[in-house]
Amino acid sequence: MTTLNPVAVNSTPPIRRSLIARIVQIIDPRALIIYVILLVASLFFLFPMAWMAGTSLKTIQEVGQPQLSLLPAVPQWVNYTKLFNDENFYRSYANSLFVVTMVLLGTVTSITLVSYAFSRLEWKGRNIVFALMLGTLMLPAQATLVPQYVLFYNLGWIRTFNPIIIPGFFAGGAALIFLLRQFMLGIPKELDEAAMIDGANPLQIWWYIILPLSRPAIATITVFLFVGQWNNLVQPLIYLQRAELYTMPIYVAQKNNLQESPLPWQDVMAASVLFVIPVLVVFFFTQRYFVEGIQMTGSKG
Amino acid sequence: MDIAAQERINNLLWSAATVIFIIVGSIAIGHLARIIARARGLSEGDQRKVYWGFMFASPWIIGFVIFVVGPALASLYYSFTNYRLGKSIDYIGLDNYRTLLLGQGAQGRRFMDAMFNSFYYMVVGVPLQIVVSLGMALLLNQNLRGMRIFRLIFYLPVILAGGPAILLAWRYMLAGNGGFVNITLQGAAHSFFLIDWLYRTFIFAVEAFNSFYQGIATGDALGPFKYAVPALIGFALLLSFVRGEWTESRQNRARTVVEIIGGALTVILVARGLVAEPLDPSLIYGIGAAAALAALGAVLNDQPRRVRLWQIIPLLLGGVTLIGLILTGNPDLALYIPAVVIAAVPLLLTLFIRVKRTRTLVLLGGALVLALIVLIRLIPGQLDNGGLAIIPQYLTFGTTIQQPSSLDYLNKAYNTTTPVALWFYGLVVAVLLGLVLSNNRYPRAQKIVIYVGTVVFALILVSSALDGVRFFKDYDAISAAAGTPNYHFALFNQAVAAFPNDNRVPLWMGNQLWAKPSLILITVWSSGAAMLIFLAALKGVPKQLYESAEVDGANRWQQFWKITLPMISPALFYNIVIGVIAALQTFETIYILQTPDTQESLASAAYFLFTRTFTQLEIGQGAAVSWILAVIIVLATVLQFRYSRWVHYEA
Repeated sequence: MTTLNPVAVNSTPPIRRSLIARIVQIIDPRALIIYVILLVASLFFLFPMAWMAGTSLKTIQEVGQPQLSLLPAVPQWVNYTKLFNDENFYRSYANSLFVVTMVLLGTVTSITLVSYAFSRLEWKGRNIVFALMLGTLMLPAQATLVPQYVLFYNLGWIRTFNPIIIPGFFAGGAALIFLLRQFMLGIPKELDEAAMIDGANPLQIWWYIILPLSRPAIATITVFLFVGQWNNLVQPLIYLQRAELYTMPIYVAQKNNLQESPLPWQDVMAASVLFVIPVLVVFFFTQRYFVEGIQMTGSKG
Repeated sequence: MDIAAQERINNLLWSAATVIFIIVGSIAIGHLARIIARARGLSEGDQRKVYWGFMFASPWIIGFVIFVVGPALASLYYSFTNYRLGKSIDYIGLDNYRTLLLGQGAQGRRFMDAMFNSFYYMVVGVPLQIVVSLGMALLLNQNLRGMRIFRLIFYLPVILAGGPAILLAWRYMLAGNGGFVNITLQGAAHSFFLIDWLYRTFIFAVEAFNSFYQGIATGDALGPFKYAVPALIGFALLLSFVRGEWTESRQNRARTVVEIIGGALTVILVARGLVAEPLDPSLIYGIGAAAALAALGAVLNDQPRRVRLWQIIPLLLGGVTLIGLILTGNPDLALYIPAVVIAAVPLLLTLFIRVKRTRTLVLLGGALVLALIVLIRLIPGQLDNGGLAIIPQYLTFGTTIQQPSSLDYLNKAYNTTTPVALWFYGLVVAVLLGLVLSNNRYPRAQKIVIYVGTVVFALILVSSALDGVRFFKDYDAISAAAGTPNYHFALFNQAVAAFPNDNRVPLWMGNQLWAKPSLILITVWSSGAAMLIFLAALKGVPKQLYESAEVDGANRWQQFWKITLPMISPALFYNIVIGVIAALQTFETIYILQTPDTQESLASAAYFLFTRTFTQLEIGQGAAVSWILAVIIVLATVLQFRYSRWVHYEA
């Protein structure tokens, strides 16, 4: 504080700040400039979302003409009711929810098991297996994308949900395993030992001790997986190939490919708004985990 | 029952089966591990530990085998075949790699375009992203109220940018005609002349830069500009060392830069040289000569570990070239075999010689022979039609385009110089510089080299730039006079012909020159993850450092460069690695934003892979692309870790 605000510090008694000093602090020119920059930047960062929401309530005429108003003259809620009457929309939403739920179930469960093995258990060969796992961090997804497709093709899994969901059960995502493992390493070792003396086996320790204590880290990986999977476009695009199975990202992306001219942007944006709402809701309630998760992966260097 | 519901139930059954499979598999692996542990004589307790450990880890182990190891091996095999889904597999050797790496045919051309696009995202996009996110983090690191909210706002785009919705909103906002962004910009431009001027300069700069880049990417003849680029690299590098003492840290920095440039160029040249048919040994020998010279430098500098490395490279390359030459029955065989033997023997010998003096002399012999071969190949102008002879002329500002009369003349004088030749000059420059700068014996000589080199590069740069500008103009005029349309850097000529008038607008997603900048705008918009990492790093910088710097009278600018940046260098490093890898893998954004007009100029390597494999079902070539990508990504990561010496991990 000293470097930022010499005025406030100099003019206040050390224990209680007077009202005047606090006002002086608020209108500190340096802070003011920073706030102005931040507000302008926020406008840049938030505007596309506002524009999306505003457009979704416009009429086709308003969308067609070049104009700057963010909000429509009269909100057209009909753009949304149209979607609610669209069978494809419902099905895509249900498909997305299903896929996300299954992926989360499979991946989170298997990742907690594997991270437990890598952090709490001490076994010969652990370091080798762990090094292998970290090695896959380097391997780009592209290297296996093509042959995986061939594998699923030969299994007859194209045009099913399986290629998206089943690999999750095998603890996909080395970065997330690493994140959870780092967290689990921080849990005091004495807890396991005490439980061991009481005759608990590792499975019980995992369930009764480690899982409850790792809840924040598990929440972190869950929200990451959720956002990643909800937005996932590539794999559904590759594997689903069938209108009935489309998830929301494809549904929204397809709106863009309509051969209508001019493109009914208000419909596209209405679908987009409904698509981003779950992500936004999850984000606002769990933003703490996002921040911690990102900073944890980054700080490992 | 509708199909989706049916498929969901189907998937539930499969999921249940998978769970059972994993449980059974885990128990089996656990038991197997215990049996092995017992056989190796581990104690009862250790056996139990091994059992539980492997059991818990086996979901990942099984998945690793099924979804990573198996597919990776399979794709390596596919990459040597012409496999198409549902058709038979034929082994076709290196054909896929040849098509891709040499840019042969329509598909090879498309792949090259995609690589150039990815490169653009890397060198233009990543630095912008780093600067913006670091700036944001610095602002947010102030001790003021409400920073948490701003942090949230800046991070929000990240979670949305992964999905199609917000990308569509961007696409709508960036519409060329009547889009929100353009109307706002135009409104601002009309309100005040200075903004108008800035706005038009911006349009001019973006269009000129992108059309020029596109010209290079599509392999247009570069004319005299081909000398300007390596000269620019050399000039910029040396200029930064002209002022101040030539210290140890500067020397390390110079060496690092030179090695990175040289390494990247070498990989490109070797990869292309190896799959070329007929094999072109000039490039490979050039690299061999460069490596031998570098080995010599390492010997003089007493760096035994480097010597080995640099010796092994030319030997390996020489061997591979020879085998290739023999296999293809190249007529130059008579020229190469004795040369290779003469060069290889000293290189091989020095692997076993311990005395430094002898080793230097022997190595010198090998390096000279290889260098001689390269020169023999270069002097008759086989690589670029004698273009190197221009350089001495350039040093006296003598230009080469004198009274050009016909299209024929220009075509002949500047025969299609592919980027390969350009890379080659860059490589030579890099190695020579590295050689001189890394030799500690003669500090004054280094100083002189730096001064003289800066001047030389500046002369070449200015001269070739002048010549280049004239070349472009003449080409334009002559082709117009000849009545032929000017295909040569046509877009560039168009873009720089006139300053944009006041009703011009950026065309963003609708135009090939604006598509890449638009994509970068969106990646910069969603660079909040990097911002968070920077912020965490900034919070970790001890406050006392700034306080003591203030006492010493350092201003904020100095504090940033001397304290903040070194202290957050791990975060910077991490963000660069992630950014570069992401640039190669850009997919969703392109998929959503592309139009038939802009697809070619947007497509990244990952996007090309996608279309090739999943829309055209060319599994074989797709697999080759994925392996090239994998190698590039791994190399980029290794290179970045190798050269992270400037990263301070401890306070």
